[in-house]
Amino acid sequence: MALLDILLWGVLPYVMVAVLVGGSIWRYRYDQFGWTTRSSQLYESRLLRIGSPLFHFGLLFVIAGHFFGLVIPMAWTEAVGMSQGIYHFNALLVGSLAGICTLGGLAILIYRRRRTGPVFMATTRNDKLMYVVLAAAILLGLWTTVASIGAPETPQNNYRETVSPWFRSLFILQPDIGAMAEAPFSFHLHTLVGMALFTLWPFTRLVHAFTAPLHYLFRPYIVYRSRDERPVAGARARQRGWSQVGTADRDR
Amino acid sequence: MAAGPRTPGLDGPASDAILALGRYFSRWEETDDGRAVFREGGRKGDVFYRDRWSHDKVVRSTHGVNCTGSCSWKVYVKDGIITWETQQTDYPSVGPDRPEYEPRGCPRGAAFSWYTYSPTRVRYPYARGVLLEMYREARSRLKDPVLAWADVVGDPERRRTYQQARGKGGLVRISWREAVEIAAAAHVHTIKAYGPDRCAGFSPIPAMSMVSHCVGTRFIQLIGGVMTSFYDWYADLPVASPQVFGDQTDVPESGDWWDATYLMMWGSNVPVTRTPDAHWMTEVRYRGTKVVSVSPDYADNTKFADDWLPAQAGTDAALAMAMGHVILKECYVDRTVPFFEDFARRYTDLPFLVTLQEHPDGLGLVPGKFLTEADLLGGTDPDSDWKTVLLDSATGQPAVPNGSLGFRYSASGEGKWNLDLGDVVPALSCRDGQAGESAEVLLPCFEAADGSGSVLRRGVPVRRVAGRMVTTVLDLMLAQYGVGREGLPGQWAAGYDDPATPYTPAWQEEITSVPAAKCIRIAREFAKNSEDSGGRSMIIMGAGICQWFHGDATYRSILSLLLLTGAMGRNGGGWAHYVGQEKCRPLTGWLSLANALDWSRPPRTMIGTGYWYMHTDQWRSDGYSTDALNSPLAEGHLKGMHTADTIAQSARLGWMPFYPQFNRNPLEVADDAAAAVDGGRAADPAAYIAEQLQSGQLRSAVEDVDAPENWPRTLILWRSNLLGSSAKGSEYFNKHLLGTVNNVMRSEDGSEIRPRDVAWHDEAPEGKLDLLVSADFRMTSTTLLSDLVFPAATWYEKHDLSSTDMHPFVHAFSPAIDPPWEAKTDFDTFHLLAEEFSRQARTHLGVRRDLVSVPLQHDTPGETAQPGGVVRDWRDGATPLQPGRNAPVFTVVERDYTAIADKLAAVGPLADTLGFTVKGVTYRMDHETARLAGANGVMFGGAADGRPAIDTDAKLAEAILSFSGTTNGELAVQGFRELERRTGRKLADLAEGSEEKRVSFAQTQAAPVPVITSPEWSGSETGGRRYAPFTVNVERLKPWHTLTGRMHFFLDHDWLRDVGEALPIYRPPLDMHRLFGEPRLGADGAAEITLRYLTPHSKWSIHSEYQDNLLMLSLSRGGPTLWMSPVDAGAIGVADNDWVECVNANGVLVARAIVSHRMPEGVAYVYHAQERTIDVPKSETTGRRGGIHNSVTRLLVKPTHLVGGYAQLSYAFNYLGPTGNQRDMVSTVRKRSQEVRY
Repeated sequence: MALLDILLWGVLPYVMVAVLVGGSIWRYRYDQFGWTTRSSQLYESRLLRIGSPLFHFGLLFVIAGHFFGLVIPMAWTEAVGMSQGIYHFNALLVGSLAGICTLGGLAILIYRRRRTGPVFMATTRNDKLMYVVLAAAILLGLWTTVASIGAPETPQNNYRETVSPWFRSLFILQPDIGAMAEAPFSFHLHTLVGMALFTLWPFTRLVHAFTAPLHYLFRPYIVYRSRDERPVAGARARQRGWSQVGTADRDR
Repeated sequence: MAAGPRTPGLDGPASDAILALGRYFSRWEETDDGRAVFREGGRKGDVFYRDRWSHDKVVRSTHGVNCTGSCSWKVYVKDGIITWETQQTDYPSVGPDRPEYEPRGCPRGAAFSWYTYSPTRVRYPYARGVLLEMYREARSRLKDPVLAWADVVGDPERRRTYQQARGKGGLVRISWREAVEIAAAAHVHTIKAYGPDRCAGFSPIPAMSMVSHCVGTRFIQLIGGVMTSFYDWYADLPVASPQVFGDQTDVPESGDWWDATYLMMWGSNVPVTRTPDAHWMTEVRYRGTKVVSVSPDYADNTKFADDWLPAQAGTDAALAMAMGHVILKECYVDRTVPFFEDFARRYTDLPFLVTLQEHPDGLGLVPGKFLTEADLLGGTDPDSDWKTVLLDSATGQPAVPNGSLGFRYSASGEGKWNLDLGDVVPALSCRDGQAGESAEVLLPCFEAADGSGSVLRRGVPVRRVAGRMVTTVLDLMLAQYGVGREGLPGQWAAGYDDPATPYTPAWQEEITSVPAAKCIRIAREFAKNSEDSGGRSMIIMGAGICQWFHGDATYRSILSLLLLTGAMGRNGGGWAHYVGQEKCRPLTGWLSLANALDWSRPPRTMIGTGYWYMHTDQWRSDGYSTDALNSPLAEGHLKGMHTADTIAQSARLGWMPFYPQFNRNPLEVADDAAAAVDGGRAADPAAYIAEQLQSGQLRSAVEDVDAPENWPRTLILWRSNLLGSSAKGSEYFNKHLLGTVNNVMRSEDGSEIRPRDVAWHDEAPEGKLDLLVSADFRMTSTTLLSDLVFPAATWYEKHDLSSTDMHPFVHAFSPAIDPPWEAKTDFDTFHLLAEEFSRQARTHLGVRRDLVSVPLQHDTPGETAQPGGVVRDWRDGATPLQPGRNAPVFTVVERDYTAIADKLAAVGPLADTLGFTVKGVTYRMDHETARLAGANGVMFGGAADGRPAIDTDAKLAEAILSFSGTTNGELAVQGFRELERRTGRKLADLAEGSEEKRVSFAQTQAAPVPVITSPEWSGSETGGRRYAPFTVNVERLKPWHTLTGRMHFFLDHDWLRDVGEALPIYRPPLDMHRLFGEPRLGADGAAEITLRYLTPHSKWSIHSEYQDNLLMLSLSRGGPTLWMSPVDAGAIGVADNDWVECVNANGVLVARAIVSHRMPEGVAYVYHAQERTIDVPKSETTGRRGGIHNSVTRLLVKPTHLVGGYAQLSYAFNYLGPTGNQRDMVSTVRKRSQEVRY
């Protein structure tokens, strides 16, 4: 087992997770008002209307595909009678479709960001770096999918026998480095870029994914909140001096 | 939408299902309809917002930006930093049953605090680097600042070097001490070498920050310098106002719009340019008031209008004349309206008699002059020249009613200067009562688009009085408007649908493109409303019609509609001219202290347009003579004169001021005069000057304005962005005044027509000005061209006062923070300058006598100097020069140049001994100065020992308020009492009960304070009434300050008759092709099109302020833009946002095109004032950076604005003077390469 493999597939994933979790906590504590997508809809909405749903819904399918491929063991699918051929065909079809949607959406969004003056003006260097990594991750992912079409059916080429076991092994803290090392180069690259993306995650606009207001869909439109029982931390302390005159806030 | 049966739940089954799912997983308390949920706590986030809106202090201030808003604002400060501002809401209530003044404010004002810490802020004093090096070298060599300055500017080569560096960067940071030393040295040297009238200052609009304006002006006047005017220079001044009312811009507050029942907006885009007041216009519509807009474009205010009259740009007078035609025919001929007739008899000159005389060339009869008592009696009483005559319809005999100018200053007129007609019932027409003779008269007309005149033959009924054939002004009006009556000779309109006869509705349709039927309908509605409502028809008028060359003619034609329908001097009626923040309500205090009338009189004030027209050498390429303007019936008073000649003659005859005065230093002239008087060679200094001038040994500077001894040498600008905003012909300023790079296209040698009286130099001077100083808080075109820049405090960093025409309150500026970095208030800057000046003067100037020349002034007996408005020039060889009669007034003033700082900081003794006089009313100040000495303390030692102190900005504000009737009830009552003696009418009750009321500075800091009714203005606020002008005149029979004491339709001065404007008339926009050889209007089939070039006011800036503000740049397209119609854009292949260039003889502007359907064809809008500081690339035409919006304009002076010495047509500062109009410009617009370089 090469040292590099240990570093890449045994150490790096945990570093990535530490940064992702720690970074997010840090960001949430210290930059809550920067926890935003910094929407540019005000500057341009025509392209956004097409690009944004295409990208985001495409992405949901991509995530679902990753779940299906990485988390569910091959044995399980075979147990329910799904042959490798059918699985592969399915993954290719849905994966390519989702990937192309995501990529197309992203292309529209990047085009819009570059060509609409006010939107480009509102684009930071942080955003640009994030776009490069995000685009690279998606492109490489699509490449692994497409490349697998013509590839010979060897165990190495089947990510369900290399990448997936390694992925699952990470969670039980016994990384199967060997399995991952066997995987082809394209998978290595995709995984590395993916990890880079997650490392970057807490420090970019991507944090908005954690706080998508899904619960809005499931609650009434208007929320009335009573005051907190006790003054909360950070609130202005009662001023020294005479007690206040006039009518107190209504009794609670 | 049809209301269907309401389904229970939220928005449908899908949302219900989702909500049910949510409810399944968590429990909450909700409303019955399921739309709201109740939760406990969870408001930690509130802390942020509570903290965000808690401040260390909130300070009242406002913006001094000449927007007329004068809105009071709350400025928020946190941790010593200004965070933002919001609108104040504590304006005094205007009473029940009407809306309130608050909220006032607009997005521009709300963006102001950005400037405080912006990159454009001037933080330190700056000097032009090359100049500074030369000065320091000379200073170290000569050891004296004045000698050092003289050394630098005395060397032509070094002088040119720094002049040519102007506007090219190279400003370096210097200390305050050195900056003030250089500025003072330049002034001391100029006074010593050339005279104090070579030092100029310009700071506009006192009302927008009175203390700042006052202190600098006071400095300039104490040293004997020249303050150039702004109201006429901005072309905001309606010359028709002095012509018709004998008063300058007295207008209703916006709260009075609520009283109108018919509201026209004519050339005034209320929501954009009167944003905080526009709500009254929208609200009064809910009262049933009809709102009509007249604008060439689909302007923002047109959206609010019930009717839109889209008159072509510049043709508004044609529409107004046709409306007048309808009103005269239907309300004065076909039918009589007692309400209108009573008004016309008592308050207008319509019943007065005008002589008809044979035209000198034998063409026929023409209207001559007003018949006066002198014509009746033939006596020698000089006052009878000024008493006009009418016919008493009761007796059929001529009568001399009270109230004309002959009653105003004479001993015999005491108690009779009023509009009380007694038993006399003036006959409006010579036909009244009895039929009689009639005669054909010739009247000028200018219906041709090229501006050339023709002659109309019309008839009037006449009488013979004292051997003269006379008719009334109304008879002449009917003749002028072409409204025929039976039995009169001449050619008349066949009807409203007669397109060939001038001033019919059908005639105007061909010029304005407003349908005749609409014109008739609006005219009828307007008159009917006035008849039914007692004169509550109002016209809001503005820069869209005022700022044309013939704007005065347009205004008179529109004012006539109001005068004919009895709609003046009424709440809810009359003219509402809003162009510039003109109303400095505490008028007497500001005016007197600013001009330092407490120390020395008279001050040197100058007509701005005349000053810049001559000194920037725009006259050299003004290639047409007054013949192009004259009426075909002209009698030769202006024949063949160049415009520069008219300015020279006007100055010579004591009509308008001109500075420098003479081709010699007035300090030396005063010494020579004193020597002559001592030697017995002259009776007094004035007689000595008269003799010197007549013999030609002393010459007016204007007659050789390009000679180096007659150049202006220093110019101080504060509260102003002259070179980025108001400088019409800005490229000529750059070339001739400043001597630096410019885009002037054509050499002036192309001009064949040369002046007769003004000397021509083959080589035009470049770089007249030795020193340009400016004080500002942001970098502007002006500061970038300046030699010295002082960092000024913003409006949130000083004490000052604000007032406006639009509301009746006075309120304060207050410092939210101290001026940051090295900025100082204008007050402190001028005191520093005065101290250093006085110090240097001890060596170089000492105490000197100064011979001051000023013109004959309005509201003084000087306005009765030239009876009949007959031009008699002492240059003709036969007429003797009489100072104060047919020439300026010459006065010797002693100036202690070592005591300027002392005098600046204290109220001088003349306040006690002479009092302060405003509009003919003198206010005694002895009581007030004693009281002020108690409140402010007195100065100790020096020239002002024991005098009341005004040595801080707050104390000066207190003094301004103390010395004005509007803010000091005692003075208001005192002034009314004096006016009662002259008029014999009861007036003092308007202010009685307010004697003890004094508006103090502290009160203005607490909240906006309403002013007191005072004779300084013509309206009344008594009893909480909304201010409307001339209500005192109408209700108390106080005369207007005119020849007849009434409002004038007819003006009989020689010059006005010669240009054909004795009566209201239509004059088309100037034909720039005919006058200047510019291309004809329209597309030429190639890649360029010639359009009218208009510079209206912007939605995203106030003049040049805010156009560089990041917030406003974000809201608008930003940078220079030009609006044009899709048709015009299509003709030259321009798409929206393309770069285009505007080019004409005057310069070049590079801008992006905004192609909009709101624009009419043939017109381009370039919003005023787009500076060179934002996104200005190099032009293809010259290869140099494009200019400001004024790069393609130039000054055009209308000679009739120079008339003086004759009743209401007399000079007073910002009362009358030539306008710096710019609307008649045309420019070629072409698409340029889209690749721009900076």
